[in-house]
Amino acid sequence: MRSPAAVQPTVGGPSSAAFRATTASMRLPRQAWLLARNDLRQELRDFELVATAGFFTLVVLVMFGLSFASLGRSAQPMAIPGILWLAVAFVGTLTLTRIFDRERESDTLRALLTAPVDRLAIYMAKSLVTLLVLVGCCLIVVPGLVFIFPAAEVLAEHPLQTAALVVLGCTAYAAVGTVFAAGLATSGGKNVLLSVILYPITSPVLLWALLTTRALLEGYSGVPGYLLQMLALDVLLVVVGGWLFESVLVGSDMAPNRRGRRR
Amino acid sequence: MNRAIPVVLLLFAAAVFPLSVKTIFLDVGIERQLGTAQKIFYYHVPMAWIMMLFGVVCGIAAGVQLRRESRLAEAIAIAAGELVIVTGLGVLITGPIWGHASWGKAWTWDARQVSTGLLWLVFVAYVMVRRYGAAGSERLAAALAIFGAIDVPIIYYAVKIWKTTHPSNNVVGSLPPEMWAALWPGLGALVATCIALVMVRTRQELTEMNLDDAWVRAEELGEAGAKGATT
Repeated sequence: MRSPAAVQPTVGGPSSAAFRATTASMRLPRQAWLLARNDLRQELRDFELVATAGFFTLVVLVMFGLSFASLGRSAQPMAIPGILWLAVAFVGTLTLTRIFDRERESDTLRALLTAPVDRLAIYMAKSLVTLLVLVGCCLIVVPGLVFIFPAAEVLAEHPLQTAALVVLGCTAYAAVGTVFAAGLATSGGKNVLLSVILYPITSPVLLWALLTTRALLEGYSGVPGYLLQMLALDVLLVVVGGWLFESVLVGSDMAPNRRGRRR
Repeated sequence: MNRAIPVVLLLFAAAVFPLSVKTIFLDVGIERQLGTAQKIFYYHVPMAWIMMLFGVVCGIAAGVQLRRESRLAEAIAIAAGELVIVTGLGVLITGPIWGHASWGKAWTWDARQVSTGLLWLVFVAYVMVRRYGAAGSERLAAALAIFGAIDVPIIYYAVKIWKTTHPSNNVVGSLPPEMWAALWPGLGALVATCIALVMVRTRQELTEMNLDDAWVRAEELGEAGAKGATT
């Protein structure tokens, strides 16, 4: 993936090319961090996303609590994973929509795409911000579940495994969701399609997270193995997401529409 | 693309399909445990194979479309994606009928049932994005098809860890010769029909793309003409 800045006249031999490659690889995390910091700073000014996503999480938790609080202790381990990951899915859709809506409202996405920034850095920054918001919402959901359901106390008894589970599950969701939210933001609207796309496409991630959560709740000894499998899934999804991000984003906005289809 | 190929394939299917029906219902005996409902196997399994095959075709074609801006690949991806929905619907209707006869329950949340259902949902989402997405959403749909193709083994493995009541792949491999003899004609007829449909739909989609282009060019010429007239 090459940004406009990366296209420079060739000067020097192979050593300078290697130097440029090294510099570019070092530049990517820095660009990603600068873009993410910009989003986070914007968020710190008005707390719009944190407040709305946090409140929505609370509402979803209360609704699930009202529906399932009367379940017997033996049935609770079957309901808790669904509540946790459905809450993540709902809040994730809201977060992704809002992150890219903000760029679209102030027309800064176009500026971002024409800036000398690697597109992969944009993907990494947006995924990171989404991940932080989702993990923040899980800080509401998980203690809430422990409070509502006695069977969820296991989550509090294994804080490291719970934290790893939440971070890995949210990373996978953010990795897939960012690609499609960005694509929809640049293709002229119809955010309703985000839910249509996101829920089926993130089902494997959610299934895996459900499976691991249930294993954790039932005290299954193979949880670390499941967490490693989730890590492998995260790596796969981040790589595929990074590979597709530029094609989805640039093709639908920066390049003139090839056919101008009239559907 | 040769226009005669789909016609030849459809004629082949039309000739072989009655043979398939005759072999399945008259030549092969009725299975002792499952009874007549087992006959659905001869259409359920080929449709499931075709669904998986065209799911992969759609994913690969979408990848080529994204990387090479290929119109042909885009048209093939659309045609294959639509065929996945049609064959998937067939699988999701015949599967529970067979399941009800063999397990006493139409839907058991078995690994293969769930993976087939989710794959079908992903391709319905693909077609919805193609149909209702704004201009430029074809790349988004292509990414969806690629993720969908990647998702299939992941979903299957995730659900398989729980438990599965579905017959394993070995069951198909260990079929007696007379059952294989009954499976082949149906499989051949269905594959030929599906390839013909994909070819026809691909050509139709390419024609539609060319018509869109002609429409845009005509509009541009009209606007240029109007500007020239006013100045």
